[in-house]
Amino acid sequence: MMLGAAIFGGSHNNSATAIWEAGVGLETEIAQLRRGDLDALSTLLTRYQNRLYRYLLRMVRQPAEAEDLFQQTWLRVAEKIHNYDQNRNFDAWLFTLARNLAIDHLRRLRPESLDEPVGDHAGGESAAARLVSRETPALDRVLARERTSRLADAMETLPVIQREVLTLRFEEELKLEEIAEILGAPLSTVKTRLRRALDRLRGNLESQFPGENWQ
Amino acid sequence: MSDHDKIRELLPLAAAEVLDQQEERLLAEHLRTCSVCAAQLEEWRLLAGGLRRLPTPQPRGVVVERARAMAQIRLTEHLEHQWNRGVMTGLIAFAWILTLLSWPVFRFISGGFLSMLDPQFSHTWLVFCVFTTLVWAGGGAAAILLSMQQRRERSLA
Ligand SMILES: [Zn+2]
Repeated sequence: MMLGAAIFGGSHNNSATAIWEAGVGLETEIAQLRRGDLDALSTLLTRYQNRLYRYLLRMVRQPAEAEDLFQQTWLRVAEKIHNYDQNRNFDAWLFTLARNLAIDHLRRLRPESLDEPVGDHAGGESAAARLVSRETPALDRVLARERTSRLADAMETLPVIQREVLTLRFEEELKLEEIAEILGAPLSTVKTRLRRALDRLRGNLESQFPGENWQ
Repeated sequence: MSDHDKIRELLPLAAAEVLDQQEERLLAEHLRTCSVCAAQLEEWRLLAGGLRRLPTPQPRGVVVERARAMAQIRLTEHLEHQWNRGVMTGLIAFAWILTLLSWPVFRFISGGFLSMLDPQFSHTWLVFCVFTTLVWAGGGAAAILLSMQQRRERSLA
């Protein structure tokens, strides 16, 4: 509880107007891209580069592999954009392209990662070791950073399928319906997956850092 | 409490803000009387907040620029391909029109000659078919040669 408050304080806000304006801009860009406008492709790439890379990195975990998939995804966008139905959600369409590539990639390289949950090992060096190795600019900032990386580490130990649903919901902030579309699964499955992922993540954190009131 | 366990299942989903209306109502009712679940929900919310604030990894600039360049080339190729197909369709339509239009002209010029060859019955349809086949065979051969040349150029590039 205290731990959580210390780490995760802060607010998360988005102005509705900004979202609306972004949506209108996006529609124009997509329409231009469908007509073959290279600048529109460039603008879209810039708009989505961080989100798409983050999703791919959460899926495959290796930056080099995520980078390769990132490039492949944009090639797919260039090839498939004329098939894109303007009434569909673009985020879901884009992430589905990326997902198909990532899943194919994992199936080829690490097929076991797709069906078997990865073991719950603690990620890397201990938190205490890392704290010591760092200078202490301001204790609370160090703690905040430290705990964020603990959370990231704990998330990395989850199976792909669970990491994926967490990143889509919490980092990409996609709606349940959009996630279901990307995963090609019913809403109830997405919810179950989300619950199990959170359960397991919390379990991992509690077992790795038992003294920290994660209960 | 009978629905206590059921509510516990809803807590992480509540933190993820994906409950439907009925689940929301159920949860709200339960929370009014159960401080244990209320405390648990707070925990889940903190975890959810932590996930929302994980640092966003950024792709390297060189990777982004390469992706941009490659995608733009692919898009250009794709458009060219579409344009070629459009041109081909146009040419085929044009060739058909030309074939049909030139037939009466051909008949007019060669009418005397043809009737001399075979005065008994009309060869109109037969000759039309031969004429059309010749024209189209010529056109087809040209198209095949053109596409072979294009392929060779592409493989050299
Ligand atoms: Zn309760």
